[in-house]
Amino acid sequence: MQEPILELNNVCKKYGSFAAVQDMSFTIPKGSIYGFLGPNGAGKTTTIRMILDILKPDTGSINILGNNCALNVRHRIGYLPEEKGLYKKMKVSDIISYFAMLKGMKKPLAKKRADELLKRYGLKDYGNAKVESLSKGMGQKVQVLSAVAHDPELVILDEPFSGLDPVNQEVLEQLIKDMANNGQTVIFSTHIMQHAERLCDRMLLIAKGQKIFDGSLDDARAIIPRRVTIECAGDISQLRQIEGVIDIIEATPPQGSNIKRWEILIHEQTNPQLLLQNCFEKGLNLSHFDHTQASLHDVFVHLVGSEAKEHSLR
Amino acid sequence: MKVIWLIAIREYIENIKTKGFWVGILLFPIILIAVFFFQTLLADSTPTRHYILIDQSGQYAEAVDTAIRQEQQRRILREFVNYVIENRKETDFEQRVNSADADEQIDQLINDVDADEVAALDEWLDNGGLNFALTMAAPSLKADAPPFETPSEQFLAAPLPESIDPQAAPEQIIEQLRPWLNGERQLLVDGSRVSLFAVILIPENVQQGIVRPGATMTPDNASPSGIQYWARNLTDVRLPNAIERSINRAIRNKEYENRGIDTAAIREVQRTRLPVNRLDPKKQEGEEQVSVADTIRQWAPVGFVYLMFVSLMQSVQYLLSNTIEEKSNRIIEVLLASVTPLELMMGKLLGIGISGITTIAAWLLSFVGFVYFYPSNQTEILSQLLEVLLSSELIPYFIFYYLAGYALYAGLFLAIGSLCNTLKEAQSLMMPMIMLLMAPLITMTFIAQDPNGPIARVMSWIPFFTPFTMMNRAAAQPPLIDTVGTTLLLLLTIALMLWLSGKIFRQSILRTGQPPRIIEIISMLRNRP
Repeated sequence: MQEPILELNNVCKKYGSFAAVQDMSFTIPKGSIYGFLGPNGAGKTTTIRMILDILKPDTGSINILGNNCALNVRHRIGYLPEEKGLYKKMKVSDIISYFAMLKGMKKPLAKKRADELLKRYGLKDYGNAKVESLSKGMGQKVQVLSAVAHDPELVILDEPFSGLDPVNQEVLEQLIKDMANNGQTVIFSTHIMQHAERLCDRMLLIAKGQKIFDGSLDDARAIIPRRVTIECAGDISQLRQIEGVIDIIEATPPQGSNIKRWEILIHEQTNPQLLLQNCFEKGLNLSHFDHTQASLHDVFVHLVGSEAKEHSLR
Repeated sequence: MKVIWLIAIREYIENIKTKGFWVGILLFPIILIAVFFFQTLLADSTPTRHYILIDQSGQYAEAVDTAIRQEQQRRILREFVNYVIENRKETDFEQRVNSADADEQIDQLINDVDADEVAALDEWLDNGGLNFALTMAAPSLKADAPPFETPSEQFLAAPLPESIDPQAAPEQIIEQLRPWLNGERQLLVDGSRVSLFAVILIPENVQQGIVRPGATMTPDNASPSGIQYWARNLTDVRLPNAIERSINRAIRNKEYENRGIDTAAIREVQRTRLPVNRLDPKKQEGEEQVSVADTIRQWAPVGFVYLMFVSLMQSVQYLLSNTIEEKSNRIIEVLLASVTPLELMMGKLLGIGISGITTIAAWLLSFVGFVYFYPSNQTEILSQLLEVLLSSELIPYFIFYYLAGYALYAGLFLAIGSLCNTLKEAQSLMMPMIMLLMAPLITMTFIAQDPNGPIARVMSWIPFFTPFTMMNRAAAQPPLIDTVGTTLLLLLTIALMLWLSGKIFRQSILRTGQPPRIIEIISMLRNRP
């Protein structure tokens, strides 16, 4: 494994008696796209703020870019906070270059970089517009650009997709991929699983301030069984005897149909074809057969479902 | 340090782009011009007022007429002096000494008006009034001087409406005149309708109303037997005052005659005077005389204190609203990923501080420009004030105390801003601070009159008042212990305040939700973040 770019060891943060983050440990290798997933109030933002040294952890240690304090290496980090805001009266290109300059870029270079980014990500006509004249989505794009304008080694984006339309979500995904191809490490938090599924090399799942899962997409999918959906009028209970089948659950049938629908959970290694073959051998008349890979959404709901519904008191 | 500059420059540029900044800068010259412009305009536009004089005693009508004429002449004299000062030829001193004595006479006239207006007026009338003065002044006026405009009559006599008998009982006359006095009916003067401003009624038995020394005022001779002045307007007292002066003079003259005293001698005696020379022991021999400039210099600190107050108020309010804006906009979090809270705070302090200084500089410049481009008798005092300000040793004091005051209060308001999410929340926290700032303003005049007195000394040692109070005392050479001691205390307090504000700022800048309670603020001050 490559040298880690970020490493957290047993980090804890409490607000009064409420534990926002408990015993958080993980490492992020260089050059990866890393997803922070978790329900609302799970502690994602608190973790990110601690990584950036905006908040101090109560206990535990953080090593970022070979340093124990993000402030010392802040010029090598780009950050987009969860709650977005820009100076309303400033011009778009000025604001991007201002943030780049705060990160140590020289003025002419920062200006050039701002124009280049605006052009590449579809905002070239807005360089001289004031921020207050932009729509919310455009403003958010500007903010993402101002967070990454100084070519940081590590980019941390807190909920970058919220508030963007599907087209601009794709633009942002492209931006993230571009940065990864460029050798930059990207961490982003989201609760929209599709983005994580498409983008992330690895992901971290947090709930109630605790790490629940840390690994690749395949590792995540392996957590919950595969699912086969069949529709059949006959008795399918005999399928239970097949090796690899974990459970059979009766599902809601499609509307206006008297045919029953079943969901069959099978082990990750079991081939769904085996199930189909068995149905034929047993003479079951199937009107529908479908097997899907477990989505990250399912994994998410499986892991945190019951807890996410109950908001804990902050 | 570079980051602090970047933030400061951005704050500065954004600040000078706001409308409020320009309103603040332009308001001062606009007010200045407006005050002088409207003063002239108002003086010219006071309407002519009509009065009715009913003299039943038959003794004082002339005195009242004289009073009104003299009031008019007094205005002409004033106007004329202003006119001469504004339109005089520019002559250097040598020429003036050699030139004809007309100039001397004008100098004499101007001096007389300044020293003793009543005497000057008498002389003016004796000499033949305006016509004589115009002839006298003509050679010394500029070639392109506009002709002198005689101010219009302010008070004009109107005839009594025919239906009223002037010899009727006073109560009856007033009763009959009431509709006119109340503005319900209008008088007809020279074919145009005018409203009646005042009725002066001198009852037949007015002689009995004369108050003499020794005679005690009893309820029955107190009010009704004197001269009656009826008018709805209670604020314009020039007319009743002039009438009272003139009639009393007439009565006294008669009294002199009755007692066989030479009235001419009396007038001469009245105009004899010995001026009191105010001397300043601190000055060099031969220059001890206290001039107008000296008086101004003594009072100049008050001006500086006021300037300081206005500018500080503007700056700290901006600082506060700006911090709250950044907080409610959530820009703060991006900033904090790039800069430390302390750098952010310092950058803001610096940027807004520079814009405050810009405002003051702009005010002073417009003041200089105003005095330079609008020379007149009224602005002369201003130009003298300016000269004193620029030449005095007060400027360095002002710069030091302005910066110190700014650092002291700005940190405080920045901390308040960081605690609140909306201006509304900030208002309740701001109140005590504003009260604190008001105290030096309220005591400003006392301290200027007694700059080394106990109040001044005590207030100087309270760090929050030090910049204002010491500025106020700057012209009076306060004891060394006060100057050095309070400065040290002030600098220590500034360091402490900035340190504490920094603590609050760091901890509360990311806070959302309700503003913290006092207990939370105290625990913030104790925390080591």
